[in-house]
Amino acid sequence: MTDVTAEAAPDPSIPEAVLGRRALERLDLLLLTVESLDLNGGEAMLWATRQLGFETIFPNRVELWKRRCHNPLRRSTRRGQLSAVETEALIRILCMMADRLYPMLHQLLSSKEPSELTRQRWELVHQRLRDLIEERMNLRRGAIQRFLGSEPEGPLQRQLVLTLALAAGPGGVDRLRASLLDPTP
Amino acid sequence: MVMLKQSYRYDQTTARLEVEGLPDYSAGHAEQAIGILSTWRLKIVGASELEGKREHLEALMQVVIPYVRLRLSGVVRSLGALHDPVRLVPDGAQHRLDLTSGQPDIPPLSIHLDDAQLADLVRCLDALRSDGRVCLAWPSIQHEPLHRRDLVERIPLTQRLTAPLLGGATVVVLGVLGILLPLPQIQPPSPAQAPEVKTETPISDPAQPDEER
Repeated sequence: MTDVTAEAAPDPSIPEAVLGRRALERLDLLLLTVESLDLNGGEAMLWATRQLGFETIFPNRVELWKRRCHNPLRRSTRRGQLSAVETEALIRILCMMADRLYPMLHQLLSSKEPSELTRQRWELVHQRLRDLIEERMNLRRGAIQRFLGSEPEGPLQRQLVLTLALAAGPGGVDRLRASLLDPTP
Repeated sequence: MVMLKQSYRYDQTTARLEVEGLPDYSAGHAEQAIGILSTWRLKIVGASELEGKREHLEALMQVVIPYVRLRLSGVVRSLGALHDPVRLVPDGAQHRLDLTSGQPDIPPLSIHLDDAQLADLVRCLDALRSDGRVCLAWPSIQHEPLHRRDLVERIPLTQRLTAPLLGGATVVVLGVLGILLPLPQIQPPSPAQAPEVKTETPISDPAQPDEER
């Protein structure tokens, strides 16, 4: 696993990344995908928070959950925006988690794996992600209904897993931050 | 002073990048550092081994890393011009890495990568760029948010055209309906009902000078 702890110190050159509504939705959905890939994802995120030195921003599980609730698609959503420091911390936690789960992401994306095995892996991930979405998201929202109605290896799920794979590693933080700051078309 | 060649390897499941070089003592590098790159080799599972000079590796970085950045935003677009040394082109669910040698007797090479291989390749390049032992000034690659026009491309053309076409059709239909609607007939007033027009002679003609009134 690549060590990203060296990059944990606040970097003054990092742009003030304040995410819009769509980016918050995407960031939380990516964290949810991590949880669907790692059955112990919640604990692993807390571990990553400590590893990266973000205990002051997210001292416990509740504080982490509260920041994630800025996603407007959540069942219990919070108003307002994430601060630049909180956004950066969440992006770095996500990249570290993706790095940790990279072998699994690789298996899902590889065309060299047996197709039946890949199909079953996608189904498992899809089912866990569905369960998490049904538990935590507002099911009346169109985006959530579209997601729940999609295929296990559909473009939406594949893009989430591909994003995690391409954002894992030392260079992933800058790439993911830039992509989250894209304007809404 | 004995110059020891250094070699570092960056391994992923389907890709291995290896660099060899020497420390640049004039720049104060330690013995373990690489300050002068002599060669690099890239092995991608299922493809021929690639090797080249520093400029080829830099060209590879300048194409692969921005291409991955675009993919993160869901933008599917080729990077690199047709006869560039390195070009990455979307090819269905895969990605085609086209490599053109500067020597005329070597034919161009195409390598097909799936998403997992692309991720492995970019992780190897990231690891090399962030390795403190390799003291080379790699080309700077800034990741910026994309422009709105770049992001519009990822929305299918039919979906993009639906709203303006629907709007235009609505305007046309309403216009045609407006033309087809009969105009109300205006009844000319009958003489009996015509209002009586009183013509009063002015007390004085306003154009007349005051002395003549």
